[in-house]
Amino acid sequence: MLHLKNISFHYGEKPILQNISFDVMARDTLGILGPNGGGKSTLMKIIAGLLKPSSGDIFFDSFFNVNKDLSYIPQSNELNTIFPLKVTEFLTISLLNKKLTSDEINHALNLSGVAHKKDSLLQELSGGERQRVLIARSILESPKILLLDEPTKGLDGQGIDQLLKILKELKEKQNTAIIIIDHNINEVVRFCDKILCLNKTYHWHDHSELLTKNILEDIYHCEFEHLKLHEGGKHNHHDHIFCQHDHDHSHDPKAVNPKKHKYLFKK
Amino acid sequence: MENFLLSIQDFFQYEFLLYAFIATLLLALTCALISPLIIARKNSFIGAAISHSTLLGLAIALSITQAENDFLVLFITVMITTLLTSFLAISKTDKTPDDSKLGIFYTSTMALGILIYSLGSHQKNNLINFLFGNILLLNLNDLWISLGIFLFTFTTILIPLKHWLFVTIDPIGAEARRYKLKKYQLFFYLLMTLVIVTSVKLAGTILIETMLLTPGFFALNFARSIKQTFIYSILFALITAPLGLILANYFSLPSGATLAVVQFSLLMLSFLLKFLSQKIRV
Ligand SMILES: Nc1ncnc2c1ncn2[C@@H]1O[C@H](COP(=O)(O)OP(=O)(O)O)[C@@H](O)[C@H]1O
Ligand SMILES: [Mg+2]
Repeated sequence: MLHLKNISFHYGEKPILQNISFDVMARDTLGILGPNGGGKSTLMKIIAGLLKPSSGDIFFDSFFNVNKDLSYIPQSNELNTIFPLKVTEFLTISLLNKKLTSDEINHALNLSGVAHKKDSLLQELSGGERQRVLIARSILESPKILLLDEPTKGLDGQGIDQLLKILKELKEKQNTAIIIIDHNINEVVRFCDKILCLNKTYHWHDHSELLTKNILEDIYHCEFEHLKLHEGGKHNHHDHIFCQHDHDHSHDPKAVNPKKHKYLFKK
Repeated sequence: MENFLLSIQDFFQYEFLLYAFIATLLLALTCALISPLIIARKNSFIGAAISHSTLLGLAIALSITQAENDFLVLFITVMITTLLTSFLAISKTDKTPDDSKLGIFYTSTMALGILIYSLGSHQKNNLINFLFGNILLLNLNDLWISLGIFLFTFTTILIPLKHWLFVTIDPIGAEARRYKLKKYQLFFYLLMTLVIVTSVKLAGTILIETMLLTPGFFALNFARSIKQTFIYSILFALITAPLGLILANYFSLPSGATLAVVQFSLLMLSFLLKFLSQKIRV
């Protein structure tokens, strides 16, 4: 459905992404991991059409309509809330090409847990509540591809659970392909079939089970404790990741392995 | 008081006053329609820059022609300088905030305008008329122009209002749905420019800024929905515009300045009432 061929991107002289290629099919779930400044948001903006790649091709299958089949929740959504706008009004204005019934709107707001705020003004919602409104909007869009850039940021524990449930439903009932960037590594790895690790160079995994602690540590340049990957099939819901030095390595070219790694695993 | 009421009759006795009345109403309505959008899109400063950069165009026009009788020359020279400002406003600079370069540009064009005017102009007192408005210059043509701009604004802003709201409230979301944000922005600047330039006789290109900002400012402070916002904005304009004009006529004051002061006073009054009503409730 979505195809990237040798996508590169640089801001001025500074290379951010180099030769990235992958395909995303319906029902795929792709998790993108990597340290801050690794280029994750940049890649997602390219897919969303907000940035043009410096070189390489990005294209969609012919049945795909970029005007409405793609839904994107950006990393920092600064909605302009100067206008007094009710949550429901915001949803209808955002989705002009869809005739939404109020039942559908209520249902989506229910799933994302902000049904009680539907008549509130957007300007009077908290950051987390706005994030939930955007999640509701993505549900209403019933996209073929859903892009989420750190969607759990600002959500409470219950919100994260609700989000994961929504994503599973979208995938199973509507065959939505989901691309998610998030720092809840345990959750992401458990949820996704495919993993892309980004830190200037990139690592691609067709099966998230094949992602190892070593690869992650290599990508993040730090050691993880409490990392529960699929090894041994044991999952632990409540583990967190402690990264001792989550800093930007981009100024230190030697810190980044200059060789390009590309691990492609087949079943 | 009787005199005051009699003075209102003037508007039906003298043709040019009637034109002024209708044209002012139309201009006020046009401003009220775009005012909330100007404020929400944070274009107030760009509006000010555009209206001040008219000075250069006016100065050029006044030094090559008797501009009063030559609206076309006036229109063209002013359009050129203001369009330069609009284009500058949408061009991105990497390192410095956009408002800084606009500030430099429009004050410099004003300085240049003053130089040209003092060197070249034939009638030294004309510039004031155009910067601050003089309804004595109005004729039937101006009325048609006001009507045209109003209808143009109505069809391009009010009818597709939901699209304007979407690109204003969620520009990133709109861009991801392939809205051409740059086009919306450029169009909006052009529309502001057009309104500012055609206001030249009624309110003056500088005082029009008050008419462009106060209705929306009032509305956004009191409204609790989109519909209310636009209704309040329009009501505000429809009350203040005739009042300003009647007062200007009665006291023989410049129309643009009177209108601006009336609008500002009503705005202050509304905030005072809001403040008092909150005090009483507590
Ligand atoms: N507008 C910009 N101009 C220059 N560099 C930028 C810009 N936006 C992002 N960058 C750089 O691009 C790199 C990748 O950013 P981003 O994709 O946001 O990283 P992340 O993986 O944290 O989402 C960072 O090093 C950042 O400094
Ligand atoms: Mg990011």
